[in-house]
Amino acid sequence: MLALRGIEKSYPLAVGSLPVLKGIDLNITQGEMVAIMGSSGSGKSTLLNVLGLLDGFDSGGYDLDGVDMSGLSEKQAARYRSQFLGFVFQSFNLISFKTALENVALPLFYQKVPRRERQRRALEMLGKMGMDDRADHLPSELSGGQKQRVAIARALITSPRVILADEPTGALDSTTSSEVMSVLREVNASGITVIIVTHEADIAAKCDRTIRLHDGVIIEDGRSGEVVEPTANGAGSSD
Amino acid sequence: MFNRETWIEIAHTVTANPLRTALTGLSVGLGIFILVVMQGLGFGLQNGVEQDFADEAKNTIWVRTGTTTLAYRGRQPNRYIELRDEDEERVTEQVVETPAASGRLSMWGSTVQYKNEQGNYPLMGVEPDFAELDLIPLQGGRWLHQDDVEKEAKVCVIGENVINELFKQRSPIGQYIILRGITFRVVGHFTKNGRWGNSMVYIPMTTMQRLFQGNDAIGSMVLSTGDRDLAGSTDMVDAIDGDLRLRHAVHPEDQRAVRVRDNQEEYAMFDRIFKGIRLFIWVIGGLTLLAGAIGVANIMAIVVKERTVEIGVRKALGATSGSILSLIVIEAICLTLISGALGLIAGVATLNYAAPYAQHDYFTNPEVNLRVTVTALIVLVLAGAFSGLVPALRAVRIRPIEALRYE
Ligand SMILES: Nc1ncnc2c1ncn2[C@@H]1O[C@H](COP(=O)(O)OP(=O)(O)OP(=O)(O)O)[C@@H](O)[C@H]1O
Ligand SMILES: [Mg+2]
Repeated sequence: MLALRGIEKSYPLAVGSLPVLKGIDLNITQGEMVAIMGSSGSGKSTLLNVLGLLDGFDSGGYDLDGVDMSGLSEKQAARYRSQFLGFVFQSFNLISFKTALENVALPLFYQKVPRRERQRRALEMLGKMGMDDRADHLPSELSGGQKQRVAIARALITSPRVILADEPTGALDSTTSSEVMSVLREVNASGITVIIVTHEADIAAKCDRTIRLHDGVIIEDGRSGEVVEPTANGAGSSD
Repeated sequence: MFNRETWIEIAHTVTANPLRTALTGLSVGLGIFILVVMQGLGFGLQNGVEQDFADEAKNTIWVRTGTTTLAYRGRQPNRYIELRDEDEERVTEQVVETPAASGRLSMWGSTVQYKNEQGNYPLMGVEPDFAELDLIPLQGGRWLHQDDVEKEAKVCVIGENVINELFKQRSPIGQYIILRGITFRVVGHFTKNGRWGNSMVYIPMTTMQRLFQGNDAIGSMVLSTGDRDLAGSTDMVDAIDGDLRLRHAVHPEDQRAVRVRDNQEEYAMFDRIFKGIRLFIWVIGGLTLLAGAIGVANIMAIVVKERTVEIGVRKALGATSGSILSLIVIEAICLTLISGALGLIAGVATLNYAAPYAQHDYFTNPEVNLRVTVTALIVLVLAGAFSGLVPALRAVRIRPIEALRYE
């Protein structure tokens, strides 16, 4: 489903540039549930943005569903994103003046789905997240866990093949975190690939596979729980 | 484009910071207000002057004389130049060709009596052509005939005021009135605008000369320029002016002794002045409006900045650049339109309430016409679109990744 070959990316700085991804090789097949871990600044978000077609890369290759993704225009990237990908953000990023229902329905609006149909599908999706009774609430009237459920519903509404989540539980307490994780597990159970960036080992443990990044390279890749806690660098637990 | 979502977005922008919205709205509203009121005043001024011109035919030349101010050919200044029958004859038969001409000999404050009523009115000796030169709208009876002039008939045509004041609604036609002690028969009456128009009493020129003047002076002279254009009428003015100065030995530079005024040229001059005034008004109003538009552009730029994350998220969710662009532009247009419409209403209301208090000879009906209103609205929409465009283009350039990066 997703295949990265020797991906390199650096950010231009005022003087010179900062290499962030230094040759990433990665294959993720349809239906996997993958955690990306690593210390702060190791390049996790950058990697997820590349996977999510939100950012480009300098060299290497990226195939999404067998299609080469190098050198896409902004417009093409937007099309692949809305066709294949759904995003969940750490800070939820719900639109503050829209109700839960309107937030969930928004991606369908951009796909030009008629209003009634949008509302029906959004309500149904909220129902799957156990949130249909909060449909008319504004984000400010929801708890953190509820907001993230709405955000997940919004990511799922367009029936994406892959969900990309950058620290989806980063702003939640541990009970709420595990609720959100079980929602994401259910999503994964329906055949959708889920990729989660996280700092927390117990979140990673709920995934099938854990990839550990360090300084722009993958240093560990294996079944969750089998990946050894690194002793050097103090990564994983300190941040 | 104009669906529920759009209105929700606009309502949000407008209500997110009411004070900011109000201030921006004020600047746009004020711009349109000033534009509309000034346009109205401009039209009022133009209407006033145009009405003044409407009292006389535009294609006329008026010849007036006075005392000389410069010595010329051995003659002292302060000599009164008087137009006489021979001047009119010569000018109309030898100097220029004109379809209509008349002298106008006036005696202001002449006593007029009808039975027991009496009043003072300007008495005018004129020739039959005068009616078409001075656009006298006859209401009843007839105008003076050539026959009246030849026979020095004691007939008169009177204005509405004279009827109202002396006849008290009764029909004056065929009645006899006493002008400066001599009995005249009323043959016609008219209604005319202007300060004096309705108070005039017209009698044949010859009658006037014989009974009240005692010589063949004709006062002033008015001639039609026919269908000559401005250049043609100017030639005519030069010819008349040259002839009179020659005959009466008037210095070419003497401004008071001979005055030949071309209505057509004056009208053209006023027209140029009004074009200038209108342009000036548009520039002032336009600049005020521009300031308002920049205000809107500013508010939209702030909105875009405040909503950077939101716009990034929208893009991550599949929003196209076009949808973001139209969102911001439509919001800006709505902001300008709503506040502009308020300014427009305020401007129209001000003119409507102020108009009755601001009537003057050179100022009538300071109206807001449909054309100005429509133009103002179009200008508003353009200003709104312009003010939305710059921030919108910035919004379009926001990449979805900004949303993720933003902390
Ligand atoms: N837009 C940018 N311009 C320049 N440098 C950047 C930019 N974004 C990230 N970086 C740098 O790239 C490196 C990797 O950033 P990235 O956000 O991928 O780290 P991360 O692993 O997600 O860290 P964290 O766990 O703190 O979120 C960091 O050193 C960061 O400072
Ligand atoms: Mg990160």
